[in-house]
Amino acid sequence: MAQPLPKGQMASMPKRIAPWPPVLRAFLWAGIGFVVLAAIAAWLDPSPNSPYLTAVGSVAGWFGALIGWLLGIGGYDYIVRPMMGYPTPRVRTSGWRRYYEYALDHKVIGLQYLGASTGTFLVAGLIAMAMRFQLMNYQPTLFHYPEDYLNAVGIHGTLMMFTVATVAMVGGLGNYFVPLMIGTRETMFPKASGISVWLVPIGVLTISMSPLLGQWSTGWRGYEPLAASDGSGLLYYYLGVFALTTSSLIVAINLTATILFKRTKGMTWNRLPLFAWGILTVSLLNIIWLPEIQATFILGMLDKVMPLNLFNVFGQPLGYEYLFWLFGHPEVYIVVIPALAIWNEILPVMGRKSLFARPIAVLGLVFVMLLSGMVWAHHMFTMMRFSEMLPFSFFTEMISIPTGFAYLAAIGTLWNSRLRITTPTLLVLMSMFNFLIGGLTGLFLADVPANLQLHNTFFVVGHFHYTIIGGMVFSWMAAMYYWLPKFSGRTYSEFWGKLGAIWVFIAFNATFLNFFILGLHGMNRWVSAYPKYLQPENFWTSIAAFFLGAGFGINIIHIVWAWIKGPKVKENPWDAKTLEWQTSSPPPAKNFDVLPEVVGSFYTYGDNVPDPVVIPSVQEQTPGL
Amino acid sequence: MGSVLVFGLLWVVISLLGEWGATTWINSAPDGTGPYFGTASNLGVIGAHAFDFLVWVAVPIFVFVVLMIIFAMIKFRAKRGEKVIDAPKQTRNNKVFVGSWILISILVNLLVWLHPNASGLEQVFAAQLPANNPNPLVVDVTARQWEWIFSYPQYNITQSLNANGQDTLYLPVDRPVKFVLRSYDPFHTYDTAIDVIHGFWIPAFGVKYDVIPGETRVIYITATKLISTEQNPMARVQCSEVCGPGHPYMEANLHVVTGLAFAKWAKQQASRS
Amino acid sequence: MDEALDKTPGGPEEELPNWSRRQFLLGTTGLAVAGAAALWTRTPIVDAARAIFGSPVDTGLVHVYQEDFYFVPNYMTWRVGDKMTMRLQNMSLTRYHEMQIGRHVSREQTIFGTLTADGFTEDFWDGVPVTFSNPYKMDNLVYSKAIPTFIGPKSDYLIEYGGALSPTLKPGGHIDLTFVVPDKPGIWQYG
Repeated sequence: MAQPLPKGQMASMPKRIAPWPPVLRAFLWAGIGFVVLAAIAAWLDPSPNSPYLTAVGSVAGWFGALIGWLLGIGGYDYIVRPMMGYPTPRVRTSGWRRYYEYALDHKVIGLQYLGASTGTFLVAGLIAMAMRFQLMNYQPTLFHYPEDYLNAVGIHGTLMMFTVATVAMVGGLGNYFVPLMIGTRETMFPKASGISVWLVPIGVLTISMSPLLGQWSTGWRGYEPLAASDGSGLLYYYLGVFALTTSSLIVAINLTATILFKRTKGMTWNRLPLFAWGILTVSLLNIIWLPEIQATFILGMLDKVMPLNLFNVFGQPLGYEYLFWLFGHPEVYIVVIPALAIWNEILPVMGRKSLFARPIAVLGLVFVMLLSGMVWAHHMFTMMRFSEMLPFSFFTEMISIPTGFAYLAAIGTLWNSRLRITTPTLLVLMSMFNFLIGGLTGLFLADVPANLQLHNTFFVVGHFHYTIIGGMVFSWMAAMYYWLPKFSGRTYSEFWGKLGAIWVFIAFNATFLNFFILGLHGMNRWVSAYPKYLQPENFWTSIAAFFLGAGFGINIIHIVWAWIKGPKVKENPWDAKTLEWQTSSPPPAKNFDVLPEVVGSFYTYGDNVPDPVVIPSVQEQTPGL
Repeated sequence: MGSVLVFGLLWVVISLLGEWGATTWINSAPDGTGPYFGTASNLGVIGAHAFDFLVWVAVPIFVFVVLMIIFAMIKFRAKRGEKVIDAPKQTRNNKVFVGSWILISILVNLLVWLHPNASGLEQVFAAQLPANNPNPLVVDVTARQWEWIFSYPQYNITQSLNANGQDTLYLPVDRPVKFVLRSYDPFHTYDTAIDVIHGFWIPAFGVKYDVIPGETRVIYITATKLISTEQNPMARVQCSEVCGPGHPYMEANLHVVTGLAFAKWAKQQASRS
Repeated sequence: MDEALDKTPGGPEEELPNWSRRQFLLGTTGLAVAGAAALWTRTPIVDAARAIFGSPVDTGLVHVYQEDFYFVPNYMTWRVGDKMTMRLQNMSLTRYHEMQIGRHVSREQTIFGTLTADGFTEDFWDGVPVTFSNPYKMDNLVYSKAIPTFIGPKSDYLIEYGGALSPTLKPGGHIDLTFVVPDKPGIWQYG
């Protein structure tokens, strides 16, 4: 490891001129890395057709770009050079520049993740608007060829899944709040975490720019054997997802280790906040399943480049599908578990009432995690043998029991509460409503005879948008409003917050309830053109979808405004008990001047309930540091 | 206790109203097809009955949660400007409520797994037994990128086409049809690596089954209604699994006709090919 | 493990010039514009360039590349009476590609409305003498109305019978078509 140099030597270093912005340097190094490795690959494995860029070259070049990007953004200065014995740069930028370079502070990293997720949410959302614009007419209008449309569908799904749904609440809110909530000053592996966040932009760029390499039409699942003969842009789908999942994997390892080893004094498992429990279960899911999907994608990629013939007639055509959903269903719970945890984080605070049946709420999260690996093939009822249908439909039905525990706890908490109807409360209740519809329509899809009709129609599309937007995105918004005073020390306008919440709620339901009807009417997925009789319904669905897009825009603008210019509030405006509220807002660089000690439950309210947190005096704690 | 009674009463009344509405919706078309549409085959009817039953199951659950949300927003709300104080009653657990919740959720899930799922599947499996499908019409379905090709070996029809040269599927009503599903390209038989998965779906029949390269799958369906694409666009063969750029257009028209009309059509086709 | 973090609060932080905000904003905006242009404006740029500079007349050997799913070039000007060799190359790594030249796209009625069917109603190669050579990774060749000459063994071309002249190439394949441009002026489409 690095040997710290004597101070004199540091000071005697010549004064340097202003360095390049790290992001631009990363782009430049990525470009150089790409050209060098692609050229080497083209030289080693020349193709008679494409003298400049071969399939192998585009993969090798991407890895060159990845290395160049990560070194350029800070890996060279902060990791490679210190490993070779040079001192770690002691420069720490402040202000907004911190967010555009390599960082070690978990709060900066959390906001980097949140910013990347929000930006990608806007991009992928705009793609969704374009898709809905196309579907207003039964014949091609905006997307002239079906492959344009299918490529847009694929990019929309891939970005939303791997950059928004799995990242915003884990990499974003998790990185920011878990250390605060468990009372620590840093995460376990800050260096790895600082690098991992920069895998997100390169992953997003790789996927968004993939049509340049060749359009692909498989959608976000990349089903084989179509993928093997589809456009070569799929290579960048595999690689982009590889970058994004690696990023989530590092987050999972970092936060699991942080929760296991860095809890403050008195933070027992029984006192661990619900959100931290949610992040822990999600991280375990990520650690189990992300390597699985990465291995699958590498096989898919090799199958395409070599070709290996793993997943076509010579191999096992359904092999990829099984491997994909083996990850793909736990993925759904990776998305929704933090949302379920957020409900029961916010409701006790807003209702001034003890969390009802807390052990059941935690057990629900844990059992969802355990069962989620046993249901995957219910995405494949139309493909499987008859003998597989009964067991998979059984586990699928059963997983709704632990999922229901989140409702059990939320409803028990609501009962007899003194509920403050604030924007976060409203959004949590809306999320409960939406996710309920998502769950109940799942009842229909889990029924095999009905599934044989509903599968791959808009009914399914409606169902999973209800769980992901309705469950996760609404909870994400609730969390953003709830924690806004923590992020910035400022608050939002209750009027605009409620207006924004009601707006997206109505527009969301107007859009996606229609999807169920469309699906029953015979509207299938992945089509840019459809029989004319479906046009009127699609038209109104699109109109509602545009309102939904505008609604998200209003909320984002409002949150950004409140963040920068909103009225200042006191440090704990909700009178919440969890640890993140026991420090100043926004939190200082080291989170807590003195690490707090937990002596009771965060979720117990009522008269004569002692404060769960004790702040030891400075003298007491210093030796322990 | 008062709140519990009011809530319980509201829940029962609104659920009953909801069930009445759902039943009206279901019966708004013959055979309980109100919301479901795809019931023109023996398998579609099984799915429709499952769908209807699940609507009845879902209504009280939906009403319970949504009513609870609304009830809490009205009954338990803190008044505006009120001083923030903790709720007077702090129930942290209620064994009866938790126990019955868990028990009921297990029972409901077991119920819907057994019926309509397992019971419906039993009917589906029975409908797939060759013994239950006497004298079937064999239709070889070949899916390629991006075309459905139908041939009728019993009638010497290698590729059934309509007057415009488009692939078309004719079926007799009330006679079991044995669809033999394969995915390969008869024009590129030497390169099987390009075959992909397609989904054989007739929306009006309420059933789909995927066509996997390298596998020959068989599905028995009996059409129960006289329909045609011209008269009801849900009566069409549509690819339901994304299969490349041509996927949206991978469609073929369908006609379900009487046995007599079918025999006449088959004769005409056979003489053409 | 967290050496880096622990060290920071220690010594005084060195004051170094910050990186430039202007450079950062200009650079990232420039890259975003370049990326967007690469994704969406290739066709408009090519069309605009053709409108301004016209399309040069091709003679001799022209390369036509088949990509997923577009041709490069997508516009050519040929002079009647020139002897030309068109080298058709399938650039795709994975897909078969086929080329026809003709006029008036044939149409069909489906439940999706009027659609373009595959093929043209009028074949450019009708009655034109064509010399085929240099086949590599051929999938099949249809030439019913053209007058063909084959260089090399005929079996290399995997000839099939059908409608308009259309060579189909496997991924990475190519074929040369040598012909004298026939006196059939006007706009012909290839697809």
